[in-house]
Amino acid sequence: MQLYSPMSTTPKRKAFRAPALASLDGARIGVLENGKLNAEEMLHEVTQLFVERHGCTVRLLKSKSNASAPAPSNTIVALAQDVDFLVTGLGD
Amino acid sequence: MAAVAPRIHDVPDDVLAAIDFCYEQGWTDGLPVVPPEVGRVKAMLAADARPAETVIAHHPATGLDLSLHAAAVNAVMAGCLPAHFPVLVAAYEAMNRPEFNFHGSTASTGGSAPLIVVSGPITDEIGMNADVNLFGPGNRANAAIGRAVRLILRNVFQMLPGISDKSTQGNPGKYSFCIAERSRGNPWPLLCEAQGYPQGTSSVTAFAGGGFCNVENHGGNTPEQILGSVADAMANYGCITLGQSVVILAPEHMRILADAGWTREQAQDCLFTLAKRSVEGMKSVGKFRDREYDRQHDDKAHGLVEAGFVHRGLGPSDILITMGGGDAGGHSCFIPSWSRGRSSLMQHAAITPSPTPSPQS
Repeated sequence: MQLYSPMSTTPKRKAFRAPALASLDGARIGVLENGKLNAEEMLHEVTQLFVERHGCTVRLLKSKSNASAPAPSNTIVALAQDVDFLVTGLGD
Repeated sequence: MAAVAPRIHDVPDDVLAAIDFCYEQGWTDGLPVVPPEVGRVKAMLAADARPAETVIAHHPATGLDLSLHAAAVNAVMAGCLPAHFPVLVAAYEAMNRPEFNFHGSTASTGGSAPLIVVSGPITDEIGMNADVNLFGPGNRANAAIGRAVRLILRNVFQMLPGISDKSTQGNPGKYSFCIAERSRGNPWPLLCEAQGYPQGTSSVTAFAGGGFCNVENHGGNTPEQILGSVADAMANYGCITLGQSVVILAPEHMRILADAGWTREQAQDCLFTLAKRSVEGMKSVGKFRDREYDRQHDDKAHGLVEAGFVHRGLGPSDILITMGGGDAGGHSCFIPSWSRGRSSLMQHAAITPSPTPSPQS
């Protein structure tokens, strides 16, 4: 008996990691909060640690209107142009 | 990205061994599946005129696509007949819209499952149940179509419980959650008609359902009494959000509304007006969020929104109401949405009939 596999036949997408920053010192931080309860507060605390320890500056705060959907590409593009790294995470 | 050829596994000519093989591959929902034998899959594919590699849904999080072929394989495994396949395909065409967000609604701790409501003549043509034990077992089309929706999420999109499906508790609809709208004795336009499809065209409505809440009322004799009890379920502190709602009225309850001449729109207005909690009450249980309140009460707020209260949804049209179930019993139901907000919005799509008649169950 021959059985078909029920899996997707789409080839796996290749994903690449961005190169690590040479140094965090003085880097510009972007914040992407997901709109859930306490997300902004939690991310603020995290970014303050970078500010205190590495002299980073917080440049941009962007919010998602839908926590479980990818951020719109124009949001990501705007962040990427003005920051060195992005802090995001789930607030709840 | 071009798809590769579907993989074929050679297994012994023994159905029980083939069922075990499917278990070993991790292809099941915990229950046995029909082995997706090549001939059965091809028969399923004949129910759609398009090429087998046609993509009908895409998963943004992984880049994985659902082709008609993969849908057919999972339909066979779920127990579908070819006559059921157009409903499954339409369900995924609806779920594929970004507003439905099938990734989020499946991955979330919220534990929702896609409720599929089938409306129109196809429900009788393929022998679906819109009557007694509507949400229960016993009907092949209802059970198998709903199960196929779930198997695709698992096998094609890799939404695996505990790994990429992080439901805190899940709900029984994650095995199968598919019903037919009852047309017999229904005083209102069917959903497919209300949705604007041409006469004779059936539709599916997909809704990320967060569970099932029975609404018992055997004493109410007016629309306000019946809908008052439904609205109370919709507004309980555990359920109330800005999300949408599905309400399936039992025929007994629907007759009370029909006898009073109520339309669907009147019922929606009534439910939206009544399904609310005070700001103080929401604060008392720690669920008040000013961001949500402001959204519901902004300058685009619906005219029935009341200051000082949080309503369920943003307006009456957020409440899908129709009829289903057996003739006897004052048991309607409310199905809450997944999520606390608007992360998944219900979608509907037309069902394209099979190119050739297929036998029904």
